[in-house]
Amino acid sequence: MLVEHPDEATGLAIASGLRFAGYAVGVCPGPRGHGQCPLTGPAGCAPAHDADLVVCSLGYEHEAAREVLRELRTRYPDTPLVVEVPSNIDADLQELLDGCKRLPAPATPEQVVVAVQSLYGQPSKESPAGA
Amino acid sequence: MRSPFHSEQEAFRFVVLLILALIPVVLAAALGPTWLAAVVAAVVLGALAARMTHLRMRRLRGLEVSVKMAPPHVGSATERRVLVVANDTLREEALLGEVERLASVPGTHVFLLVPALISSGARLTGGVDGLLDQARARLKTALNRVGHEHLVAGEISEADPLRAIEDTFATFAPDEIIVSTRWERTASGLEPRLAGLVRERFAVPVRHLVFEPGSAAQEPDGETEARYRYESGDRAARKFGLKALAAAGILAAVLMSTVALIQSSERDEARAASQAAAAQAAGLPPVAKVVDLSVIAEYKRGPEGEKHDAFTTTEFYVRAGQPQELKIDNTDSVPHSITVPKAGVNIVVKPGNHTYTLLVKQPGSYLWYCTFVCDEWAMQHPGYMSGYITVT
Repeated sequence: MLVEHPDEATGLAIASGLRFAGYAVGVCPGPRGHGQCPLTGPAGCAPAHDADLVVCSLGYEHEAAREVLRELRTRYPDTPLVVEVPSNIDADLQELLDGCKRLPAPATPEQVVVAVQSLYGQPSKESPAGA
Repeated sequence: MRSPFHSEQEAFRFVVLLILALIPVVLAAALGPTWLAAVVAAVVLGALAARMTHLRMRRLRGLEVSVKMAPPHVGSATERRVLVVANDTLREEALLGEVERLASVPGTHVFLLVPALISSGARLTGGVDGLLDQARARLKTALNRVGHEHLVAGEISEADPLRAIEDTFATFAPDEIIVSTRWERTASGLEPRLAGLVRERFAVPVRHLVFEPGSAAQEPDGETEARYRYESGDRAARKFGLKALAAAGILAAVLMSTVALIQSSERDEARAASQAAAAQAAGLPPVAKVVDLSVIAEYKRGPEGEKHDAFTTTEFYVRAGQPQELKIDNTDSVPHSITVPKAGVNIVVKPGNHTYTLLVKQPGSYLWYCTFVCDEWAMQHPGYMSGYITVT
């Protein structure tokens, strides 16, 4: 599972919840403050490529965050997405979110775990789900 | 083998980039001299290397997005695993007390990881065993002091601390990591920046505890951690930059030597071709690069019908001042010679197959002969053991 969250502590809290639910996790702070996200560049993003499911909590008031979501939808159309969304979303974001599992922002780690489990199911003990 | 590309799009971009990079090289090879193609190829490779170096330095400085990873939690939901990474601070009572406190919390397992901090210098000089023994002794003392032998375990590692922690994830899967250092790095201690690097790499909470002799644990504030990260990242980036610069210098020297060699070889070929063309234009006889001939006893029949000793080639065409190679197989059991006293030529042809150099400085036609007594008739008749050297 890949968790994209700009806040380190919250990202780790979600990761911890997912780990205790039996999933391997990766946590990415997203593009904010780091220049270009590799996902939107030619290099690509190995963790996103390898992820069975992506939890996006980047906050979509910024274009850079929407670009990440757009790239995820385009490059990995078969990878399920759990997206934390604000209450007021515009038409452009509405279109991007079509087919994603939505969670009202801010979601608690427990809500994220439940959403992931509803999409992906419980990982077996023998073969934990990869990040 | 796994594909290095993450998507078809990436593979397509790579192919386009490769074609774009090859176009100038191919054009230079087709339209210009060989050295130009080498220079263009070097420029393209150099640009690629510079980009990779730039990216690597950004990563070392912590300017790239880093994705933290962690495996699933192991054990029941009430169990908790804490990895403590320490070396010289294992002697501190405050750290051991913290380990003891953690181990006394129900369901908590503690693992002490002691990187032996083996430098490349120690590996080269064979000082590894001493460092390993030191780390082993510290771990043993700490485990004995803490007790809780079912809940506290530990190991030493020869690997770099970050790699050692990564290895431990495979077997212990910690839910929290404690990195224990001093405020500043000591000879046998972990670097304070390690905590920041661990935070960047692993998706579990990381605590950085600083222990100074006799005092309680302290946690650096965010500013101090940022300073550690900046200083170490900057140092690592500068070190890498210097290495890259040195490599670039070596490669540039190799490239310049290669270009000089190619140019020199092309110049030699052009000079030889122009000389051949000039000689042809002047109506001069062609000159062989190497002349192969033999000396054979009773080889050629004379006008009186008897067989005489002879050189198989007796007419030589050379350029004034230019050495001419002669490969002569003297099948006779005695030496012979090609001698022209007024041209300063005296080549003694030993029995067997040998290579000689014929050099005449002044143009003209010279009669040569063999000075070793052999077939007297043949020695006096051109075409046998005598002949002409034509120098143009």
